[in-house]
Parts: sequence; structure tokens; C-alpha cells
Amino acid sequence: MMGRQGHRTGRSVSLEATPASILEFEDFVDSLDILSPKDRNRLKLAGGEILDNIVKHATPLESRGIEARASRSGGSILLAFYFRSPSFAVFAGEDGPWSVYPEPLFDPAHRRWRGMGLLMCRNLAKRLVFRPGESMDRIFLEFEAER
Amino acid sequence: MTQLDISIRNEHHRLVLSVSGPINSYTFTDFQEKVYKAIAQADTAVDMEHVTGLSSAGIGVIMTAMEDAETTGHGFAIVNPSEIVRLAIESTGFGDRFPIVKTLKQV
Repeated sequence: MMGRQGHRTGRSVSLEATPASILEFEDFVDSLDILSPKDRNRLKLAGGEILDNIVKHATPLESRGIEARASRSGGSILLAFYFRSPSFAVFAGEDGPWSVYPEPLFDPAHRRWRGMGLLMCRNLAKRLVFRPGESMDRIFLEFEAER
Repeated sequence: MTQLDISIRNEHHRLVLSVSGPINSYTFTDFQEKVYKAIAQADTAVDMEHVTGLSSAGIGVIMTAMEDAETTGHGFAIVNPSEIVRLAIESTGFGDRFPIVKTLKQV
């Protein structure tokens, strides 16, 4: 069982599929020395949204947890999430929010606007890709690094 | 900082909410409750200088608060947002619709 501090190796961290992992992910991004302050904020915002989606729509996971990896190559920053969940592919599938450009909508039951997360990710990142797989599902976010 | 702290004071017939910490899917309900309650009562300013994160859930609350302000006729403003709050608002693609001011005097 992982505690508040996930297993972190260099530029990757293993996270549990719980809401608390968002705080742990933010700590991980803060620890990365490959990022400018603005890029760090972009990774926190977009990565936090993706992680929130995984926790809400991919559980229970078939993998032991979620692995987040960050790397920088020249002018690009890549943030990747690895996990295994059949339910996430169903959620994100052909008619799901990951296929259709989401329009924000007002949720009267909870009295707030929803559907902003993916919109924010698409504006923060250059590329957002979901690749389901038989052994592992992957989500990639590519950012243009601040010069 | 992992906890959200919200203090409320009355200043010149206006409610000022000072928010510190992250507004995320974990913490936004407290933010939602206090902002909606304030807007229903009076002109409201939300000081976001010390907010360390703003998720889509928090953005959704601010958008609803903006609409509630129009409905009730009360003023609503976001005061001196931190860099990450500014970035979150910009990332919606319609950041210019958010009522952002630098200081309380501008409200």
C-alpha cells in the first residue's frame, strides 16, 4: 500500500487511483528540474485534469496503480500516464468525450459548469492522445516548452 | 500547501473571500459553497493571490458565480489571481470574460 509519498524514480512516479494522488502528482511536478515555472504550472493543470479523469472513470484499475512520467526533449515536454483499465476505453470511446470535442455544459443538479477539463488540456498542451492497449493504456500530453 | 483555506470579511458593504491553497476536485466544494452563499448576499470579491492550483471544477464554480452575480444584480470580481490561476483561466479559451482586477480598489 502506497502512502502519501508514491514511489518516485527520477522523472516518474507511481500513484494510487485515489483523489489524494492529485496532490502527490503536484508534488512530483514541483520536484522536476526540467521545467520553467510556467511549464510547471501547465503540467500541473493539464496533468491534474487527466489524473482526475483516470481516477473517476478508470477505476477499478487492472494495473497496480498509475505511473506518470515526464521528460523533456529539446523544445518539447512529454507527460505520459500508464495504467490498465477496460472501463476507461469505454468511457473515452468512439462517442465519449475523448473522441468528440467536449462542449461545456451546465449541470443543474450540482450547480456548476462541467466539461471544462479536456478543453483546458487541449489549450494547455500541443497534443493530447489516448492509446488503449491490451496490456497497458497510455495517455500522452505533449507541451511546447517555454523558451 | 494541500488544504484550502477561505476567510471571509465584510469590507465597505462587500464580502471579500481570501482563498489560499489548491482548488481541485478534492477541495472545490468548500469554495463552491462559500462563493455561492456570498454572491446571494452581497457584492463579492474573491482574492486569489494565494491560490496554488485551479482545476476545471473550480473554473466551473467561478463561471456559475459569474452567472449568479448577473441574476442577483450583485457584483463579482476575481482579485489579484496567482500565475497558475491566470493560466487556468486563460486555458478555457475565453479568459477575457472573467472579471479579473489587480486590486480591491478596482472593484
